[in-house]
Amino acid sequence: MKVNAGNLKKANFIMHKGSVYQVVKTEFYSPGKGSALMRTKLKSVSTGKNVEYTFKSNEMIDTLDVEAKEVQFLYSDNESLYFMDPQTFEQYYLSKDIAGSIANFLKEGVNCYIYLHDGKVLNIRPPQSVRLKVVEAEEAIKGDRVGGAKRPVKVETGVSVMAPLFIKKGDVIVVNPETGEYVERAK
Amino acid sequence: MKINVNLNNIEFHKKYIYSKRLVEEFLKKHSYTQIELPVLSPVLIPESYLEIFKTKFKFLNKESALFLTPSPELFLKRLIVNGIGSCFYLGKSFRNSEIPSRLHSFEFNMLEYYKVGADYLELADELLKLLRFLAEKLGKPKNISFDRWEKITVTDAFKRYANFTEKELYEKKLFLAKARNKGYKTEGFSYEDVWSQIYNMEIEPHLGVNGYPTIIYDYPKEFAALAKLNNDGITAQRFEFYINTIELGDCYTELDDWKEQKIRFDKEEKRRKETGKIYHPMDSEFIDYLKKGLPKCAGIAVGFDRLVMVLLGVKKIRDLQVINIF
Repeated sequence: MKVNAGNLKKANFIMHKGSVYQVVKTEFYSPGKGSALMRTKLKSVSTGKNVEYTFKSNEMIDTLDVEAKEVQFLYSDNESLYFMDPQTFEQYYLSKDIAGSIANFLKEGVNCYIYLHDGKVLNIRPPQSVRLKVVEAEEAIKGDRVGGAKRPVKVETGVSVMAPLFIKKGDVIVVNPETGEYVERAK
Repeated sequence: MKINVNLNNIEFHKKYIYSKRLVEEFLKKHSYTQIELPVLSPVLIPESYLEIFKTKFKFLNKESALFLTPSPELFLKRLIVNGIGSCFYLGKSFRNSEIPSRLHSFEFNMLEYYKVGADYLELADELLKLLRFLAEKLGKPKNISFDRWEKITVTDAFKRYANFTEKELYEKKLFLAKARNKGYKTEGFSYEDVWSQIYNMEIEPHLGVNGYPTIIYDYPKEFAALAKLNNDGITAQRFEFYINTIELGDCYTELDDWKEQKIRFDKEEKRRKETGKIYHPMDSEFIDYLKKGLPKCAGIAVGFDRLVMVLLGVKKIRDLQVINIF
């Protein structure tokens, strides 16, 4: 399908200079000289690297038809993440380079969505939030509780998240896996 | 679209209001007269790359079309012809089809001022003083000093940053062929459209990042709009200035040749029609004013919201607002 660059949206998959990219960021820009532009940040789904590219807003872009499939995250090794379709037991894998930091926040066994095109996994669709148990947290010093101060705590997937001082070991916290930011204490 | 309220921005908003007072103080001290202007007009200057807002005045069964002004130029130049001297407007302008973003808002504050007796580069000297004055009172980006401009011509910038020779930049066929080789789509696009894309991709990331604000000047005549041409016949006396890759203002030595202005208006109006822009009657009286004689002057339009945003170090225009619509 073709769309105007001006209508590109974050998470769209496009063909650009012969390769597949996922749109990470878009910004409309009208310089008043020549037509309006669409500035984008694109992630290569073969290397995971980001590139910046400015399209003319009325330039036609080839987008890819993708299927979002619900799968279960099984495990990861040094290179890849492995998923399974719980209905068919079919397995899929995705390079960690492509998934990026989201991989740090996936707990084995959780359900998530992957984007498929012609049977190939293009990327994972990050859940809006994930619930993770705090496994290590230094005791907060008294009097430090004002002003929204934060310190790093370790969650069950092994990575650190900046969390408010009232978060203790054993608490479950909600994290945005795209940004790695603490959202709230799970209720 | 909806109305958004954000009182967390109140401190930045207060500084924004204060910065308007500072600009007024500076310009009045430098003998400019402040002018309050209408934002609705029955006619406009045709500009093919700007979309407009249309409305109408209605009384009983009579209606007349009115347009929100995308720039105060049509009013201010009338006053200059009538002898007001150097003058400025700091107020609302409107540009349709501009999606609200970090640097854009379809309704924004524009600072536009004209210095009678000056050309574009003379105006630049005073603009630097204005920036220095604002920076002292408001703050500035850490990496930028306002002691001087970094100045570069458009031709040199394309040579240095995009590897275009002068010939390749100004001969349209050569330009489009080179752009194609670089991987840009050119089929079905004008010289201006592709030029603008390359300028954004390859030139702008280098502007206003070398310790000083940058003035990039002498644009191809295709981007002359209301600017006077240089003697070379291929470039116009226009500059834009940048801080940290962000374009903040656009200045011309104003075109005073009414015949040339009429030709450009006709061309722009035709292009508006071809690209399906909203129709508006052309301001033909503007040409009559030029016939009476526009004194030598230079004018600049500054995206005021953007300028304050950059000086205060906030990320988006909307961070300066407590109420906005997007």
